[in-house]
Amino acid sequence: MSSEASNSNDPVIRCENVFKIFGDNAKRMMKESGGEVDAAKFQEQGCIVGVNNASFDVHPGELLIIMGLSGSGKSTLLRCISRLTDATAGKIFIEGEDILKMNNKQLIQLRRSKMGMVFQSFALLPHKTVLENIAFPLQVKGVSTDDSIKRAGEMMELVSLSGRENYFPRELSGGQQQRVGIARSLAIEPDIWFLDEPFSALDPLIRKEMQDEFLRLQGVLSKTILFVTHDFDEALRLADRIAIMKDGIIEQLDTPANIVLNPATEYVRKFTEEVPREKVLKIETVMDPVNPADPVSDIKVSKDAIIESVAEVVLNSSKPVSVIDSTGAIVGAVHASKVVHLLFGGHSKETSGQLS
Amino acid sequence: MKLRTPKSLRTLAVASAIALTSFTGVAKAADSTQPIVIPIHNWSSQVVMAYVLGGMFESMGNNVEYVPADSQAVYESIRNGDVTLSHEVWQSTFGKSFYNAMAKGGVIDAGTHSATTLEEMGVPTWVIEQDLCPGLPNWEALKDCHEAFATADSGGKGRWLEGPQSWHGNLMPERLEALGLADNWTVKFAGGADALWTELASAKKEGRATIVFNWTPNFTDAEGFTFIEFPEYTPGCRKEDGGDGKCGSPKGWLKKAANYKFPKTHPAAYTAFSKLDFTTTQIGEMAALVDIEKMDHKDAAAKWLADNEAVWMPWVK
Amino acid sequence: MMELLREHKYLQFMLLIAVFLLMCMFVPATDGSWLWRLPPLFKQLPLMINNSVDFLMFEWWLVDVYDPDIEEYEKQPVMRQVTRGISGFILFLIEFVRELILGGVKTIVTFTSWDWATENPWARWPGLPWTVVAGGAAILGYRLSGIGLALFAGFTFVYIAIFGQWEPSMQTLSFVLIAAPMAILIGLALGVCAYKSKTVETILNPLLNIAQIMPHFSYLIPVMVFFGIGDHAGAIATIIFATPPMVRLTLLGLKKVSPEVAEAGRMAGCTDRQLMRRVLIPTARRDILIGVNQVIMQCLAMVVIASLIGAKGLGNDLLIALNRLRIGLALEIGVCIVLIAIVLDRLSLAWANKQTDYFADQSFKQRHKHSIWFMGVFLAGVVLAWIGSLVFKEGFNYLYLIPHNKGLTTGPFWQAGVDWLWDTFFYTLKGFNEWFIVDVLIPVKTAFLAMPVVATFTLAMGTGFIVGGIRSALIVGGYLLFIALTEWWDRALITSYLMTMAVLISGLIGIVAGTLCAQHPRAARWLLVWCDTFQTFPSFIYLIPVMMLFGVTDTSVLIAIVVYATIPAARYTVVGLQSVPEQLHDAGSMAGVNRFQRYLSIELPMSFPHMALGINQTVVFALAMVIIGALIGTDDLGQLILGAISEKQGVGNGLVLGFCVAFIGLAIDQILRTWANQRKAALGLE
Repeated sequence: MSSEASNSNDPVIRCENVFKIFGDNAKRMMKESGGEVDAAKFQEQGCIVGVNNASFDVHPGELLIIMGLSGSGKSTLLRCISRLTDATAGKIFIEGEDILKMNNKQLIQLRRSKMGMVFQSFALLPHKTVLENIAFPLQVKGVSTDDSIKRAGEMMELVSLSGRENYFPRELSGGQQQRVGIARSLAIEPDIWFLDEPFSALDPLIRKEMQDEFLRLQGVLSKTILFVTHDFDEALRLADRIAIMKDGIIEQLDTPANIVLNPATEYVRKFTEEVPREKVLKIETVMDPVNPADPVSDIKVSKDAIIESVAEVVLNSSKPVSVIDSTGAIVGAVHASKVVHLLFGGHSKETSGQLS
Repeated sequence: MKLRTPKSLRTLAVASAIALTSFTGVAKAADSTQPIVIPIHNWSSQVVMAYVLGGMFESMGNNVEYVPADSQAVYESIRNGDVTLSHEVWQSTFGKSFYNAMAKGGVIDAGTHSATTLEEMGVPTWVIEQDLCPGLPNWEALKDCHEAFATADSGGKGRWLEGPQSWHGNLMPERLEALGLADNWTVKFAGGADALWTELASAKKEGRATIVFNWTPNFTDAEGFTFIEFPEYTPGCRKEDGGDGKCGSPKGWLKKAANYKFPKTHPAAYTAFSKLDFTTTQIGEMAALVDIEKMDHKDAAAKWLADNEAVWMPWVK
Repeated sequence: MMELLREHKYLQFMLLIAVFLLMCMFVPATDGSWLWRLPPLFKQLPLMINNSVDFLMFEWWLVDVYDPDIEEYEKQPVMRQVTRGISGFILFLIEFVRELILGGVKTIVTFTSWDWATENPWARWPGLPWTVVAGGAAILGYRLSGIGLALFAGFTFVYIAIFGQWEPSMQTLSFVLIAAPMAILIGLALGVCAYKSKTVETILNPLLNIAQIMPHFSYLIPVMVFFGIGDHAGAIATIIFATPPMVRLTLLGLKKVSPEVAEAGRMAGCTDRQLMRRVLIPTARRDILIGVNQVIMQCLAMVVIASLIGAKGLGNDLLIALNRLRIGLALEIGVCIVLIAIVLDRLSLAWANKQTDYFADQSFKQRHKHSIWFMGVFLAGVVLAWIGSLVFKEGFNYLYLIPHNKGLTTGPFWQAGVDWLWDTFFYTLKGFNEWFIVDVLIPVKTAFLAMPVVATFTLAMGTGFIVGGIRSALIVGGYLLFIALTEWWDRALITSYLMTMAVLISGLIGIVAGTLCAQHPRAARWLLVWCDTFQTFPSFIYLIPVMMLFGVTDTSVLIAIVVYATIPAARYTVVGLQSVPEQLHDAGSMAGVNRFQRYLSIELPMSFPHMALGINQTVVFALAMVIIGALIGTDDLGQLILGAISEKQGVGNGLVLGFCVAFIGLAIDQILRTWANQRKAALGLE
């Protein structure tokens, strides 16, 4: 199932044994520990372990979600990678360059050209209008007022806020404010997009709407994305891969389906227990091999489609539905009975047994 | 410590000189064109006289500048050269500040006016007219009428309202003691001249007797003010000078002070300044123009200069 | 028993009071007894300070400087050259602005010489007609905010002109236009440094406290020695006085900026400077603007004091008017000061809130319409002034410059008002005044002076200990020790007595008035405007009516202090009550409390920490007014500070006395602030 293996490009982000420890003597403690960090022992010394030995790659165009409850270190990890905070130990490469070795100037250059970030509390500048907020990263970079305003106007259109250019952030609803935040983070056309719990401060209806908006944008832009959330449903809905963190440690990093089907630890399993399978699993996990003898309906569904999204079609069809891959070739067929079983058949231990 | 001026310092000195005003590099026997800085205090005769003096200097072709200054603090400024002169140095009120500055160096005594001053405790004349304390202005009358001068905070004693303690220290309490009045009288120090005048006004309204510190020439002369006649002053009679303290104030001088460079930078103006000599009447006239005729200080000065050319023309020649 | 004591702070406090009273009763008042009064070990301190300042200014590192006026080399200390350089720079700026408005020769002299200017009498910068300045102010007001501010700014300048205060007002304005921006910039810079470095903050904090509490009089003399006399010296003293609130509010504002906003700035690729200038400072704008408001208010509050060391303008005129008891005139001048303060405050606020509209596609004419208007006003003003020169032949051209005191005057009206006040109230108040002095003030004062030093220390340090533990006790003790070792302990007790009485009265009035006004938004707004007014209105003016009514007594002193010191008590009460969360009101209403119960059981306790800080500020304000009280006539520290100005060791005496006053304030500040912070934490307000 390792989809990233097919993207043989070099990783955009690469973390190697990243640690972040808060406290006055963090550096010294880190040295003495020799790479084995015991959070409890550190705490006795007045140090708090934020990120504990994180290693992973993120590939171009991939959307990696870092999931965890509050205090799990997910935001800290994100800030290490954007170097809003300095990692205590380890290496972080952005497009092959070690950002921990960068000086301030290089870092600013990197942020001005490659990175964008969205914040939980929107973090808009209260004294600037919506338009000025979006133009801000461009102006900081030295783009002329006219050009930056023009570009900001385009971004307003992209996030469907046209007509509110001269509003102040305080005059907008939460969802609208976050649209501004998104537009601002995209204004410089970054390659890497960081989102720190972007939708957590919104009410559930708006959140759903914003997630759709986000997927639409990602469909258009295909950025490399690091997305932090504490909402497992959100993670499942959006992610290419999910990293689940607890106490600074990445418990499991895998595709949504694999996490649901094969939780690596007890902690992860607890998360996945209540998750409805149809919301996570793709059609290919329930399809049968093509049997030329079987009558197949004319309807075709993609093998990557989430079961929930096509369930109605499959169930309404009197005959099995064909499954096609991205090239359009038929790779299998789905029987309604299988979908019914998945939807209503209780726990799917047996389903998982069939897989992998 | 003797150091040659390092180059950077010289630049700095030049820069600051330029910033301050500028260099007048050329040597001349005539007065420098640098402005003569005349202080402005907060009483009428002084302000009018400042403009009179300024008008005189200007008629001689000098540049003049006026700067407001505290009347006590001004001597330190004259010493430093920030202010060029002071034309009203009252003996008992500013004598201390003046001599302190002279002792430190930088201030010179530029002569004395003919006007004599008196700074003494006294009562508004109507207090005597209404006979609120029979026997005044002779001081012995005070022995019997302290009740008339009592106030809420004086604990039943009569009260002398003296100027701020910084003017003459403990002179008045010592005098009360020496004259044997201390059992029935007490001294309250006012915070400033305003407080003295307010007390005069409010006592008059209330018809209450009051003894305050005052001086002449002053604007209060017009309304009538009588100084108490204490035993005559003789040199050395005060407690601080080793005497028995049983004496009043002397007729005081009114001096002129100048920065020590003034004679060198503005020889002509300094000569005029040292000749400057006002009488009590003249000072009274100047104050009256403002206090009684309610003229603006500058207008009053212009009027006085126009009316009294015979007086001041000889000084500037 | 011990358990009970440990748990109940009020029991501890009762015990402390008991010990204190016992000490007061049983320690004999004998000279030479250390329990009664400490020996004045610091007696030489003023002299030492004085000598060091003298050495620094007059003896240290002498260099030969050529004096062209006397054609001699003179030994001049380097320090003096440096300070005079700074003075010259500030003076140049002030004169430059002044001459832009009023005309003059000094700016030209700066670039040429007095010789040249004397030889070329035509080389004078002409002043602007007052009509042009008033019109310009109105246009500026319109451009920055709108018609309302335009009318107000225009009205102010017209008022100043027709009441014959043009020249002194413009002198004051030019002085403030330099002093205030400098104070704002210095305050902002120091605030930013303190935000960036904890060390700077730690060092700055006590200095700010001292600068704020120390009576301005006590640093007038050092400023004069270092920088000379004139507008620049006034400006420097003003800056010292006006900067601390700016630093504090900048720091407070920056600390309140949410970390995510700062991160957003950094992720946008800001350099450190861009982050500070374009993200942090603008985001902290609310607090920083309060700082700007405070600077402007403080600058104008200093106008009178600054005139004692040479600042030209309204302040000096005010003193002269008061010395004649011309209250009406003084009042008019006071109104000018307040109007200038409010106009500057509103203009600066409007400027900071000004927005750019990127979409209005404007022609050249539209974009420059304000400049064009100004040109129009300028030409019209000049033509009017020219016509005026034809019409008014007697030397005053009213359309160019209305000469000093030649305008309208309402003086007689105000004078009549004061007379009426006296006629109506004097005899009623006299009885009260006598009772107050005999039965309240004198006993309290006597009690303060009868405190043995050991009892005072026990009470103060004990309170410190109960509130803030051993650390607070030691800090409070340290401050008191300094005062006790000078020779002015008794004077300090009198100052404390005045301050205690003033704070009690101010606190009561402020909290009651604040509470009443906080019930209604409009009333609250009015109260705050009053606070602004009384903060800038020169207290000297109401000293005279007060003295007329209450005589040269401590009652007058107290009233003068109370008028000023009530401001923070009222201000903080309003702010505190307004910051009580809405849900609590609702919760209270749902629990069925009536309005008064709600006030007593919810609002009062919740806003108590705020009020405590208000009281803290009241103490600061009261101590700052000690010097004004001294102008009426007291026998406390203030009187000595006033006297220091004529003394040989004036610098040292003034500074040490100033420290004494400041330390009284700091000791109280330590206790109140610790307590308020604890309460705030307990109530979850921060």
